[in-house]
Amino acid sequence: MPNPNPNPKPKPKHADDNLMDRFDRAGTRRFTARQAIVAVLIGSVILALAAGTSIRKAGNEMNPGIGRDAVLAVGDPASWLAQRLPLRPAAHTLTAWLSPDVNLNGLPGFAAYTTTTTGTAGGIPVVTPNSFNPSQLGAPAPAKQRLHTLLVTGDSMSEPLDQYLAQSLLPNGVSVIQDPHIGTGISSTLLVNWGQLSAYQVRHDHPNAIVVFIGANDGYSMPGPDGRQVNCCNAQWAAIYANRVRQMMNTYRQDGVAHVYWLTLPTPRDPARASIARVVNAAIEVAAQPWADQVTVIDTVPTFTPNNSYRDSMTVNGTPTIVRESDGIHLNSAGSQLAAKLVLGYIDQNFIR
Amino acid sequence: VLFPTVQFGIFFPIVLVLSWTLMPRPWLWKPFILLASYVFYAAASPVFCLLLGGVTVWNDGAARLIHRSQSERTRKQLCAGAVAGNLLALGVFKYYTFFVGGVAQVFTDVSLPPPLPLLTVALPVGISFFTFQAISYTVDVKRGLIEPARLIDTAVYLSFFPHLIAGPIVRAREFLPQLASPRDPEHVAASSGLMLIGMGLVKKVVIADYLGRAIVDPVFAVPGAYHGPDALLAAYAYTAQIYCDFSGYTDIAIGLALLLGFVFPQNFNSPYRATGFRDFWHRWHMTLSRFLRDFLYIPLGGNRGGRWRTYRNLMLTMILGGLWHGAAWTFVIWGAYNGGMLVSEHALGGWFGRRTPAWLRWFVTFHLVVLGWIIFRAQSVGVIWSFLARLASWGAPTLWTFPVLLAIGVAIVPQLLPPSPVEGLQDRLGRLQPVLIGAGLAVLVLFVAATVPSQGVAPFIYFRF
Repeated sequence: MPNPNPNPKPKPKHADDNLMDRFDRAGTRRFTARQAIVAVLIGSVILALAAGTSIRKAGNEMNPGIGRDAVLAVGDPASWLAQRLPLRPAAHTLTAWLSPDVNLNGLPGFAAYTTTTTGTAGGIPVVTPNSFNPSQLGAPAPAKQRLHTLLVTGDSMSEPLDQYLAQSLLPNGVSVIQDPHIGTGISSTLLVNWGQLSAYQVRHDHPNAIVVFIGANDGYSMPGPDGRQVNCCNAQWAAIYANRVRQMMNTYRQDGVAHVYWLTLPTPRDPARASIARVVNAAIEVAAQPWADQVTVIDTVPTFTPNNSYRDSMTVNGTPTIVRESDGIHLNSAGSQLAAKLVLGYIDQNFIR
Repeated sequence: VLFPTVQFGIFFPIVLVLSWTLMPRPWLWKPFILLASYVFYAAASPVFCLLLGGVTVWNDGAARLIHRSQSERTRKQLCAGAVAGNLLALGVFKYYTFFVGGVAQVFTDVSLPPPLPLLTVALPVGISFFTFQAISYTVDVKRGLIEPARLIDTAVYLSFFPHLIAGPIVRAREFLPQLASPRDPEHVAASSGLMLIGMGLVKKVVIADYLGRAIVDPVFAVPGAYHGPDALLAAYAYTAQIYCDFSGYTDIAIGLALLLGFVFPQNFNSPYRATGFRDFWHRWHMTLSRFLRDFLYIPLGGNRGGRWRTYRNLMLTMILGGLWHGAAWTFVIWGAYNGGMLVSEHALGGWFGRRTPAWLRWFVTFHLVVLGWIIFRAQSVGVIWSFLARLASWGAPTLWTFPVLLAIGVAIVPQLLPPSPVEGLQDRLGRLQPVLIGAGLAVLVLFVAATVPSQGVAPFIYFRF
């Protein structure tokens, strides 16, 4: 068919600066597709045999779906084989020193009681004086301490809250340790066991105030009292989750030496995630009950999502402002600044800075 | 699916085997590679497959109409409409939140309610890249440089997974001819491909991510907590990090394409070797530079029309190029800064003239580029000033460790060496049997993977663009 375009066509010229022929020099194209495939497959087999367990671990960390099934379809047999061959230990010996992760081996994880969902061995749980915030009793507030080290930790929710807290407290000479662990959650111990990590953080950093903002990735099933997995999000799951949170709170409060500020999750946009957040928030409230004078639950819901209704924007200092990220889960820069202000208000009730 | 993940490690060998198996039958290969590319994209954002498909159909239709049109005026209008459609998609998804936020502020200042709803809009991964490629296709058809391709070819061109997420920005006239006939299975640059993949992984996972964790992220988060020496090192570290992150991605993308039988244009050419800003932009993100030159700077008038018009065109091009990187004022300032440098260089006839020793021109250029990266990396305009103020404050260095210095050195110094020995070494390694390189790559991946923290590989910096 003749070209109806009346315009003269310049001869197609390949761009002057694309260097498309750079792989033609010096015979670098001398191999065949078969050789390329063999090379890639040999590499894949070596990797599967040396790191099969890592493939299975990666699959287990993924959300349910086709992708996870595909990874596990490779990971399960690869892991089985890897465990029977000497390649894996050899690779581990050679490469373990390169790991940037802190060594949590030897630290206690979540205690056995965190799987308990019934009362304490038939007895009535004891109420202690720590269960009351002095202000609830009309008592004078205890003397304020000087804030010397603040640990800000959690999952991706704690970013960039940690930066704004650090920027705000810097002029006061407060040492702010920012320790976010992206992609982790309390309900899943595959990436990080927060029972261990919280113990490590306390031993390593000795903070006298801790801000925790975590839960965006939670909702994984957890082992129940009989060892069976309990799926999110019934009362049994909430109880197990609350027990884990309570153990972390207890670790962070360091027998009353430190004060813990635990933020609840602002309601996410996605209804499925919103229902998980609701349960997580309820568990946090329950977990903190024994130490109302040492653990402050900062409820972000009334500020960001009143009545648990998701919103992208709100009025901040008289200006309508977008406060959420486009994923409908995280707080954006403006939202995190507002959350930091909220936290600082609570910190000022307990500390001099 | 990110390149350096287990999922991709399973996905790619399957695609490679099937791709070469089906390659002799294009009527099977093209739907297959299209499906594979959409599966790859769906893993990142399934909903936005519709957007990718929409952009494909829109530009394919526009290119056909342009080609059939007899009138130059109609062709121009059609082309403008097609480009506007692409820019509209880019604008809605990438700039809406930024735009309405600014507008709301202005309206509030005059006591008026915001005229548009303040909503966050999710950014489809790779939208900046595939819309630019779509524009290049449509405009090149309009310019008569290429004929409209079949829909499936256009779709494969825009969605081909090695370049889909973060480039390089491959022109239609570079890619479509490679679809015209099956790739030759007897001539594959397999060793080069595997070498590039290995090099890209080391650059990204070992160097870039390490520097990010060890120094860049903490210092840029709270510059006030650090003194001048640490701030300076963080600036150098980010200079190394962004190069290794982006060129690492590009190396992997080019390597994967080579294994599949395709060649992509070069995207980096030792950028920190540059002795001027013009030189730098000929070496850094080369496919973006030439896109901006051919589809923005030259249509604006280029250097035709006198000195001031040239300066205006340079500034506009670089400011829009800066904004392309992200919806934030820091990127606008970074673009303006680069535009200003190009204008200054143009006005001065090169930094300090030609008599200045090359090492001094390099030194000045390198440090001005580093200054630009501080602007680029800062989360806000306030952080830029805070960071610059810290550079001037003296105090004991706390972050100058051997691994950090080594990582920065490994990223930057090879670019300053004469190219021949480096290329010679690459060539020699590239001539090894692919099987050897494949096995070597596996061992390398084991070491690289050991440096990944439990949280996984950090997303590529350019993914958010």
